[in-house]
Amino acid sequence: MAGTADSGEVTIADCGDSAVVVKAVGLPPDRAWRTVHALADAVEAARPGGVYGIVPTYDTLLVEFDCATTDHLTLRRLLRYESGRLAEGPRPGPAPRRFVVPVVYGGEHGPDLPVVAEQLGLTEAEVVELHSRAPLTVRCFGAPAAAPMMDGPAFPRPVPRLASPRTSVVPGSIAVAGRQAVISPMPSPGGWPLLGRTPLRVLDLDARPLTPYRPGDTFQFVPIAPEQWDEHAGAALEACHD
Amino acid sequence: MTDALTVTDAPALTGTLTVHRAGLAAVQDLGRFGHSRYGLPVNGALDQHSARVANVLAGNDEGAPLVEITALDFGCTPSTDILIAVTGAPADVTVGGVARPMWEPLPVRAGETITVSGIRLGLRVYLAVLGSVDTPSLLGSCAPDTILGFGRSLSDGDELALRTSCPPVAHPVFGIPLFRVHAPVAHFAESWTVDVTDGPDLAEFGDTAERLFRSPFTVTPRSNHIGLRMSGDVPRRVATGEVLSRGVPVGAVEVPAGDELLVLHRGRGVTAGYPVLAVVTATGLSALGRPGPASPSASGTGPWRRRWPTTGPSAMPSAPWPPVSAPSSTSCASPSPRPPGPSPPPSDFPLTSRPPSPCE
Repeated sequence: MAGTADSGEVTIADCGDSAVVVKAVGLPPDRAWRTVHALADAVEAARPGGVYGIVPTYDTLLVEFDCATTDHLTLRRLLRYESGRLAEGPRPGPAPRRFVVPVVYGGEHGPDLPVVAEQLGLTEAEVVELHSRAPLTVRCFGAPAAAPMMDGPAFPRPVPRLASPRTSVVPGSIAVAGRQAVISPMPSPGGWPLLGRTPLRVLDLDARPLTPYRPGDTFQFVPIAPEQWDEHAGAALEACHD
Repeated sequence: MTDALTVTDAPALTGTLTVHRAGLAAVQDLGRFGHSRYGLPVNGALDQHSARVANVLAGNDEGAPLVEITALDFGCTPSTDILIAVTGAPADVTVGGVARPMWEPLPVRAGETITVSGIRLGLRVYLAVLGSVDTPSLLGSCAPDTILGFGRSLSDGDELALRTSCPPVAHPVFGIPLFRVHAPVAHFAESWTVDVTDGPDLAEFGDTAERLFRSPFTVTPRSNHIGLRMSGDVPRRVATGEVLSRGVPVGAVEVPAGDELLVLHRGRGVTAGYPVLAVVTATGLSALGRPGPASPSASGTGPWRRRWPTTGPSAMPSAPWPPVSAPSSTSCASPSPRPPGPSPPPSDFPLTSRPPSPCE
């Protein structure tokens, strides 16, 4: 039963008339995350008819479908079958990539750096050092569109959201909240404190796949001086992995 | 040698549809499917039923680009003979100055002006043109996406390229169309009843969950394609603890802080961290794409009507996948979480009880 222990248990629940949600239970967070993403890959590869959306996050996988084309029972069978196959052993996926991302911290690009430092009881330099010390792992995509949601840096405590969200956050903004970190690929409203901004072009809407990064990849942030902005401006993130 | 026989994939553009009065109109389709894994919302026509029917009546694929007109008057003129269909909220439609019915194919002669005015009881009207219109596409869809900054909102004077023309299918003297299709007309009213299923986190609301079904909720002006906010006697979460961000379906009924229900619609971000009290059905979502904000004195939206309960986390029947070389009809015969209850239920369907379920 070692396989069962490795794969843990998944529960499947209906979520309205056009979706089911799979939850990995009884697993450590990292295992649960791996399970739902492996299951998402399996569903994507199986291309079941009528399915038009799969959203794996931390410990859940949402599968959306056209209820006039397929149904809950069909999807439950597929998900059971695929999770059983996962239990037989991990399947190889693409190796994680590490992206190296230059960031101008503070100033006009990171207006919330002083506030975050004060909330954490650290100096601004210490916040920057923690944020850029180790690579941060992408866990899933989130709002705004295609944003890489990362485990946050090793701050001493969670970072509060802004009391009043900004109506617009510029692309490339580097933000943190709670114990998470993110890069905003597109202009959007945002309630997360901004630490800095990268001059890289994060997202190319004409690229396939849509994003250069995928869950499991890591981002290594590298502080640069404001006058180095132009050296990197407009470069594609896609080219910045090692 | 065969220059004269050069064939191109693009259909010849035969004319233009000139917009005189754009109001709040955009080129729309059923949505951008298949990219939610990347965090992209599906978007697309909020009243999917009306959009699909408009396209079918105009002889198109149901997902073809069409014009979504929101609330304000609209006017346009084709440069060539065309066939159109107008569906959605009740409105006054004229072609060449003559009143014409909605929910039927309408021939329009070159140079005749089409107007849509007096939109009432709802927000959105759909205008489809045989052959559709030429429009930019992103990731397989022309649906506007406010986050991606993509979409074609129409302005006065815009010209939409038409892909085909259509000889007039009307009586030569009286101008009466030569067909009556009697398409399924969507229901529009002062108040709405919306079907939901129990959400995965129903239990977190304890006894207060039943409030959803007891009294009406009113659509507030802070509603859009991302979500409808409704005021009323909102259920309260009784459980505590953080909810990890997870995928939430279009139609999720949430109760964020405050005195409002938030019902996520097609522009919603794919993940959220609020408990899901209920989920609007596919047909209920089309209904939710119809009403506009109501003043507090109006009856607004409500009450909600519960459909079959969801089954909740449960052990799976040990049926094999793929289905063993069975025709698709076989799966219809197998036990389904959907009870064979009345469909649609009678209008006096009791709001606070639920239909019998084979799961109970």
